Amino acid sequence: MRPFTYTGAKNTAEALQAASSNANAHYLGGGTNLIDLMKEDVERPDELIEVASLDYKKITSNENGGLTLGGMLNNSETANHRDIRTHYPLLSMAMLSAATGQLRNMATNGGNLLQRTRCPYFYETSMPCNKRVPGTGCGAIKGMNALHAIFGWSEDCVAVHPSDMCVALAAIGAKVEVRHPNGSSRMVEFTDFHRLPGDRPEKDSNLLPGELITGIHLPKPIFSAHYYYLKVRERSSYAFALVSVAAGLQIQGGMITKAGLAMGGVAHKPWKLVQAENYLAGKMPNQANFEAASELAMNEARPLEGNKYKVEMGKKSIVSALTQAYERKA
Amino acid sequence: MTNTLKAPAVGAAINRVEGKLKVMGMAKYATEFSVENKVYAQGINSTIAKGEIIAIDTSEAEALAGVLAVITHKNAEKLNHFEEEMPLLATTTIAPVLQSPKVNYYGEYVGVVVAETFEQAQYAARLVKIEYKEDSDPTIQFDESKSKAIKPKGNSDYLRGDMEAGLAEADETLDATYITPIEHHHPMELHAIIASWDNGKVTAYSSQQMVNESTIAIADTFQIPKKDVRVITPFVGGGFGSKLNTERHVTLAIMASKMLARPVQMTVTRHQMFTNTGMRQHNAQRMQLGAKRDGSLTALSHDTLSHTSTYQEYQEPCGMISKMLYKVPNNQITYRLIPMNFQTPFAMRAPGEATGSFALESAMDEMAWKLKMDPVAFRIKNDTQIDLGADKPFSSRLLIECLRIGADKFGWENRPMQPRSKQEGNWHVGYGVSAASRKSPYLKSSAKVLLKLENEKVYATVQMDATDIGTGSYTIIAQTAAEYLGIPVEQVTVELGDSKFPITPGSGGSWGATSYCNGARAACQSAIATLKKNKNIGEDQEITVAKLLKQNKLEKFEAEGTAVPSEAFKEHSVFSFGANFSEVWVDKYTWMYRIKRMVNVGAAGTILNPKTAYGQIIGGLTMGVGMVLSEQTRVEPNFGNFITRSFADYHVPVSLDMANVEVIFLPEEDKIANEMGMKGIGELGITSVAASVANAIFNATGKRMRELPITPEKLIEAPVEPGVLA
Amino acid sequence: MGELEKRKKNTGSDNLTEDEKKIFDQLGLKNGASRRKFLKLVSSASLSVYASSYATSPLFANTAKDLPHHQRVMLNEVKVNLRVNDRLKPLTLDSRTSLLDTLREHLALTGTKKGCDHGQCGACTVLVDGKRKLSCLTLAATCEDREITTIEGLADGNEPNAMQQAFLKHDGFQCGYCTSGQICSSVALLEEAKNGEASYVTEDFRKIETNLRLSEEEIRERMSGNICRCGVYNNIVQAFKEVHSGNDEMPSWEFATKEQMKKAKNS
Ligand SMILES: Cc1cc2nc3c(=O)[nH]c(=O)nc-3n(C[C@H](O)[C@H](O)[C@H](O)COP(=O)(O)OP(=O)(O)OC[C@H]3O[C@@H](n4cnc5c(N)ncnc54)[C@H](O)[C@@H]3O)c2cc1C
Ligand code: SF4
Ligand code: FES
Ligand code: FES
Repeated sequence: MRPFTYTGAKNTAEALQAASSNANAHYLGGGTNLIDLMKEDVERPDELIEVASLDYKKITSNENGGLTLGGMLNNSETANHRDIRTHYPLLSMAMLSAATGQLRNMATNGGNLLQRTRCPYFYETSMPCNKRVPGTGCGAIKGMNALHAIFGWSEDCVAVHPSDMCVALAAIGAKVEVRHPNGSSRMVEFTDFHRLPGDRPEKDSNLLPGELITGIHLPKPIFSAHYYYLKVRERSSYAFALVSVAAGLQIQGGMITKAGLAMGGVAHKPWKLVQAENYLAGKMPNQANFEAASELAMNEARPLEGNKYKVEMGKKSIVSALTQAYERKA
Repeated sequence: MTNTLKAPAVGAAINRVEGKLKVMGMAKYATEFSVENKVYAQGINSTIAKGEIIAIDTSEAEALAGVLAVITHKNAEKLNHFEEEMPLLATTTIAPVLQSPKVNYYGEYVGVVVAETFEQAQYAARLVKIEYKEDSDPTIQFDESKSKAIKPKGNSDYLRGDMEAGLAEADETLDATYITPIEHHHPMELHAIIASWDNGKVTAYSSQQMVNESTIAIADTFQIPKKDVRVITPFVGGGFGSKLNTERHVTLAIMASKMLARPVQMTVTRHQMFTNTGMRQHNAQRMQLGAKRDGSLTALSHDTLSHTSTYQEYQEPCGMISKMLYKVPNNQITYRLIPMNFQTPFAMRAPGEATGSFALESAMDEMAWKLKMDPVAFRIKNDTQIDLGADKPFSSRLLIECLRIGADKFGWENRPMQPRSKQEGNWHVGYGVSAASRKSPYLKSSAKVLLKLENEKVYATVQMDATDIGTGSYTIIAQTAAEYLGIPVEQVTVELGDSKFPITPGSGGSWGATSYCNGARAACQSAIATLKKNKNIGEDQEITVAKLLKQNKLEKFEAEGTAVPSEAFKEHSVFSFGANFSEVWVDKYTWMYRIKRMVNVGAAGTILNPKTAYGQIIGGLTMGVGMVLSEQTRVEPNFGNFITRSFADYHVPVSLDMANVEVIFLPEEDKIANEMGMKGIGELGITSVAASVANAIFNATGKRMRELPITPEKLIEAPVEPGVLA
Repeated sequence: MGELEKRKKNTGSDNLTEDEKKIFDQLGLKNGASRRKFLKLVSSASLSVYASSYATSPLFANTAKDLPHHQRVMLNEVKVNLRVNDRLKPLTLDSRTSLLDTLREHLALTGTKKGCDHGQCGACTVLVDGKRKLSCLTLAATCEDREITTIEGLADGNEPNAMQQAFLKHDGFQCGYCTSGQICSSVALLEEAKNGEASYVTEDFRKIETNLRLSEEEIRERMSGNICRCGVYNNIVQAFKEVHSGNDEMPSWEFATKEQMKKAKNS
């Protein structure tokens, strides 16, 4: 690991100030991703500004009738919070599918959004990777890409976003609250928070330099009766998703009134399946409709050489997740 | 001579005698000894698959505060070298490193940095810049390099009868190839060492499975007398074969210590454990079987294509099991190796049997399906009490008993004959079986026993250079000494893992327990015999050791003993046998699967301690589950590095992957095997799991999976076998 | 070095150089308390480094590159008061030092193990303020004011605690290298179950209860963050169950009976 200066920010102002004064400083949340990448020499900050102890550790009501998750609250406490479990169980389930108890106790909500891809070329400094060193080429697209994207990739990068929490947030429809170093705040729609690689794969999100995630705004409680987070992986726990599906259904009088559907492990950002969501609204919750929705969802899939299996797996997983969400006893 | 004066200690399910140290965090592993003035080393790895170093810039690294040395081929100590081309890799093989600019594979050590602190060494290693001239055609793709295969030097091809004739007389034949990937041992403790070079003498706290072999390898590498090398390794955090050899980090640390005159601590990173501490190679095993309608096998061939490195030879004996497990008159075993630009593979838990049994026992299941025979009955039909491959009788062989008792316990009769016919909700449910066998060697082993009489009680200390790599050596040696001295196990202390103790063969190859315990037995017997002889007490007279010491007017006494295999042992084939039954549930949608339960039966002679023996079995089963479920190291096709490079991509099983396992031991005592009647058990468990699960997956889904690991991505695309109703 | 020493002494007082005052003003750290806190965190030695390069804005940019090497080592020094197993240890560390390496290499508490150093195995699990965390991905610098408990701190003197004893009894280890992590994790999991925390395999997330009686499936999922390459998961589950439920657990092995043997031979 390269040497760095450790700055323990006492309050937000200090953190923002420190960040604005050093373009090569990184915020340190739980460190579960950043410290790993620094040991790998992938991330090379010369200053860490510790923000995990800043005072954004609560879950509060917001003006939309929903809840706001503190950006520095850890994943365990978020997923286990009484109100999250009661009103947004889809989020709890997705969060608890990630990593392990130890890691979730450390990982912050803000850090989770900004965790970087697990593409092995990105991790291996001796390999070409546009995300790590722009202009060196994408090793994966010509090499091994079984774990890579089937949607929205570019010739420059085919990596996927690894977060589970974010898949649920995309299905639920959240907003991210960020503070700019100049003191101002802004709110970013969740679907606009992460970006597709295009020709700038080094940028994972649309955050501006120095911006600090302080909270995640959830809409009014949603999908609290019919929810399922399905995660397909190589072992039954402690593994990133090959593909994952967050499925939420609102059902009234035997009819789907609203569907939330998003996938993980398939794109550079959590992949919201808008067409399928729209299709399901107003339909009966049955196998035929779930299958039709899964076909629609996969319409635009563009698999790579090594990950064709993800199309079939994606379809099947959508049907399974929707079925399990529907069949859940309300 | 079992002492009959007290309840036997051997066979009791006692807790591990070193257990308290382990659960309290007090057991000391290699880098946990306090060695004053030590410094830290970090290895540097090559980033090309084949070629040569043309320039090295160490200036930036050397300028860092705390950095003491950057060692590369340019300034390294001259070490011993290999005399011949492609020597066979063995456990005493020298481990020269940094001797030339040549690069043989991606990840080979090309340098080492030594610094005052760990953090400094890690960072400095990143700053060393190396330029290479790359060779344009490294051999990195197995499937495209088959034409480069050679016949290994250690020629182990075998033929009995006539394969063609055997196939011609068969009613059903099978010709299928089974693939197993590169796997890595990955013991939890990273390979590590604290090395001190002091006036030509080496002290190495090094995580090793075989102490004596390690002192030989170190002495020969540095061309110093063996007596000047001391290896200390009282606790080894797992090995599974990767710590049999003395790997090159050991050489690096000792070399650095010699050059800097300071003790050097070096820990191999988890990333480096993919490239610098051995592996199990990729195997393609072609199986041809012929059988009569009544189920009798007429022909069996097992042709293995694997790879070795471009500089050493290692060949995993995959076909061994096909030579001896079934009664088949016509039998052919061959091996071919592709020299590839990877490190030399080496034994991983049950080398040959773990991989070979996947091929053989899958093929047996395929043949049973073709014959419409029950797979248990098919195996029993082909049982043999004679090892046809070695032309010797088995010392004991309870395979039929393993299969029948296991089938009963498991409820095998509920297995659907038709694949893909049993469902539970969204799950396809299937049952699988596999037979298991594992050679049980027994090697010369010595021990010293020190007796002390104190307040009428005899306390004994047993010393051996044996290791406990989690196998329970401490405990079963203590039990053995207690048994043969006739004292409570609490009065026995066992000291292991130090080259100053008497020589044993070390832990590996399923010979550890047998050899160690018999060595300890011999020492105890020799102590008693001497004490009796001194006082003219008849050999058969029963008398306590306490009395013996008193009659000899001794408060202290020590004796050494050595155990060697008998003639009877040499005249027989000595194997442990087993059977594994598994129930697997496969998700219809995601094709993820769960192993719901397993029954495992083992016949391994006297069970010294059922508690630790059970641990060995479930440990093997868990690693076997890893083989079938997820373990594989993939090669990057353009660069030749392992793209599977961390514990986050190399998926070993976690707790949730395992299920309830019932283990049944068969009561037996194999006195031909050795005086204590015991046989190896550490590798029996892993043998057969992969086939058992793959066969259960076939039974559940009708999909025949011939390539490990069996992942959801493969299952989802695999076709249903012809003849199975979809 | 003389200059650095002098500045170190200044730590804690507000006796600042003009340069330092300027930095604080720029940082908006006007009062003494926040200045002292800042000083403690970055250490006065490194502050002097900032001061020298402050002249060229932006404030912290390029400092590393412009400095001679010996000072670069000082650049990342941190002071931490580490409270481990109820003992307070003031330490001066390289800011890069993980909690794991601090325990093992600086405090000789080698019970906590390094299995991967990247958060991928759980061997380094310790309790931080009672919660299980991975010490390999935790910087020691972030542990000021935290209560750290390692495997060495669980026992009552020489007496293993209930979980340690259960591991011993059920042979919940072999080589012992994952064991400290497994036990720390298990101890934390008892608390998590008491608090009613959920896991991915929890049936219904909306049903919230405390003092959970965890099923085997639940225990396995929640213990999946601790890899055991020796593969003794089943014994660990038993050990955990016994402490968790208070009921004796039976081993899963048996010997075949004479009748079974006879039947198997003859059928
Ligand atoms: C072995 C392993 C397995 C894992 N498995 C999974 C899994 O299955 N599913 C899954 O979803 N995740 C998984 N994770 C990833 C884990 O969830 C993330 O590492 C974690 O959520 C990141 O949070 P953190 O607080 O630790 O972030 P950090 O590592 O501290 O930071 C990550 C990034 O975010 C930035 N940052 C942190 N906080 C803020 C903030 N408030 N504002 C702006 N920037 C900020 C940092 O500068 C850094 O660039 C796994 C991690 C490991 C190590
Ligand atoms: S997919 Fe993206 S992250 Fe992976 S190698 Fe290509 S550019 Fe790098
Ligand atoms: S050493 Fe920390 S998780 Fe492996
Ligand atoms: S006891 Fe060896 S890794 Fe768990």
